[in-house]
Amino acid sequence: MLNRAQWSYLASESFAGFRRRKLTTGVTILIMASALLVLAVLTLVTLNLGTLLETARGGLDLRLYLRDDLSTERLAELRPRLLTIPGVDQVTWTDSEAALAEFRRQLGDDAPLLELLDRNPLPSSYHVTFTAGARNPEAVRAIREEVIRWEEVTEVLLNQEWVDALERWTFRFQMASLVVGLLVFLAAIFVISNTVKLTIASSSRIIQIQKLVGATNAFIRTPFLCEGMVQGFLAGVLAMGLLAVASRILSHNLDGLVFFSAAQSFGFVVFCVMLGLAGSWAAMRKYLTMRSDI
Amino acid sequence: MTSRRPSPAAPETSGPLDPRAIISFHHVDLQYDDQKALSNVTFTVANGEFVCLTGPSGAGKSSILRLIAMDAFPTKGQVIVRGMPATRMNRGRVPQLRREIGYVFQDFRLLEDRSVEDNVAFAQLVVGQPHKLIVKNVMRVLTQVGLYDKRHRLPRQLSGGEQQRVAIARAMVNSPKILLADEPTGNLDPVTAQEIIDLLFRVNDAGTCVMFSTHDHEIVKTFGQRVLVVDGGTLISDERRRVPVDRSASLVDNMYRAPEGARSPGARTVRKEPVHA
Repeated sequence: MLNRAQWSYLASESFAGFRRRKLTTGVTILIMASALLVLAVLTLVTLNLGTLLETARGGLDLRLYLRDDLSTERLAELRPRLLTIPGVDQVTWTDSEAALAEFRRQLGDDAPLLELLDRNPLPSSYHVTFTAGARNPEAVRAIREEVIRWEEVTEVLLNQEWVDALERWTFRFQMASLVVGLLVFLAAIFVISNTVKLTIASSSRIIQIQKLVGATNAFIRTPFLCEGMVQGFLAGVLAMGLLAVASRILSHNLDGLVFFSAAQSFGFVVFCVMLGLAGSWAAMRKYLTMRSDI
Repeated sequence: MTSRRPSPAAPETSGPLDPRAIISFHHVDLQYDDQKALSNVTFTVANGEFVCLTGPSGAGKSSILRLIAMDAFPTKGQVIVRGMPATRMNRGRVPQLRREIGYVFQDFRLLEDRSVEDNVAFAQLVVGQPHKLIVKNVMRVLTQVGLYDKRHRLPRQLSGGEQQRVAIARAMVNSPKILLADEPTGNLDPVTAQEIIDLLFRVNDAGTCVMFSTHDHEIVKTFGQRVLVVDGGTLISDERRRVPVDRSASLVDNMYRAPEGARSPGARTVRKEPVHA
């Protein structure tokens, strides 16, 4: 267990790089913040695509057009049948007259054209929406396959194509983000690792003395680990701050732009701190052995 | 200059496994990457003994000291320090062992940006001594080496001899059982070198086993204690001297007064040159 003097020493040494190697440390933080900014932008775009996809999925619906020779009772029986299908949330009936009225309203000034028709061409229909769990291509397709077999149904309209396209692009973007994110992750570790190596090299005498007087490896390593974590923290806060400013500016032009929540921002900074820790650890594995190289 | 009475608490040991031995080398080989540093080295050092390790540069003196400090491990044979065998020792226990070993270097290796006091205190800080004890111990050792009045100075504000005394104070502050001094007089003039060796004798008087290496011909000639000579990585001589020399005399005086058997021709000139050069 460390005593107060040791805690004080470790705290002081953890910030030693900021006093003794201001330029190197500053450049490291900037480079790391740039890399993390790329990572954060990719994550934010993925997050926004995900939100867009979720909104699109929320608008997924099915319209069942029905035969026009069915009795009202027969048509009414379909409603409970539809509601028993797993994944169906709400079912709304639209009779042919209501559909025509809606069509007339949509035509506006061209509505008198409808007077030329000798009968109402629009069939009655059911509008089906899905539960949250069923808003995916497989579930919707399964529901569609089931209802299309019903003899009362003449046609099923499903607005899924563009949702599928959005989903495909989102997936591709997520994969690209993952690859770029991994590269950025490795680059960030490399940058921090090299800075800590410089710190270790410039602290070789103090490390040697510590080893010779019997300091444990954990005691020797702690300031370097803390330094990496502090650098990671500052780079993370800088990247997140820049992104927040950019997002605020862009949100005036892009409606519905989603930014990280407070918890997500905190998580990102914690991730950066861990990145700093990993970078320091990678540097020390090679440079801090038990030997003091007397 | 350096000849002194035999250490009172330094009985001769019978062999590597002698329980009185604080340091034992048993047929030790040490190989660096592509170079053999030591070959079949066997000796023991008793608790409280004062030993001079000599030989030309590159003979293996520093390697022996590194093995004792567990900064290197034998490729063959066994090194036992304070009862801990190097080859079977858990590396996690090395820091514990090093707390019982003080180390002094030719180039002092002080922290240049810290005061004398902080340099000495540093050795106590890293091993977790409480602040009050650090203050007390630092005052004690700095007084012993005669530098308490200069405790606030930086190393560059001190002479070479004073810097070496700071290094010895740092090595002694944790009250080690063994003090290893690697060429501690190498950068010092003869008079200052004598002061340092006198200081090492005082450390030894207090019961600490002292082992110091030197390639200085003049120091070895007049050294009145045990002398181990290494050359080419092999221990070629282990001589136990009993040469009484006037402790109050100066370095140069003692060298001139050293008895015939302990002085080689040409010893009147105070020069630093390897024993086997």
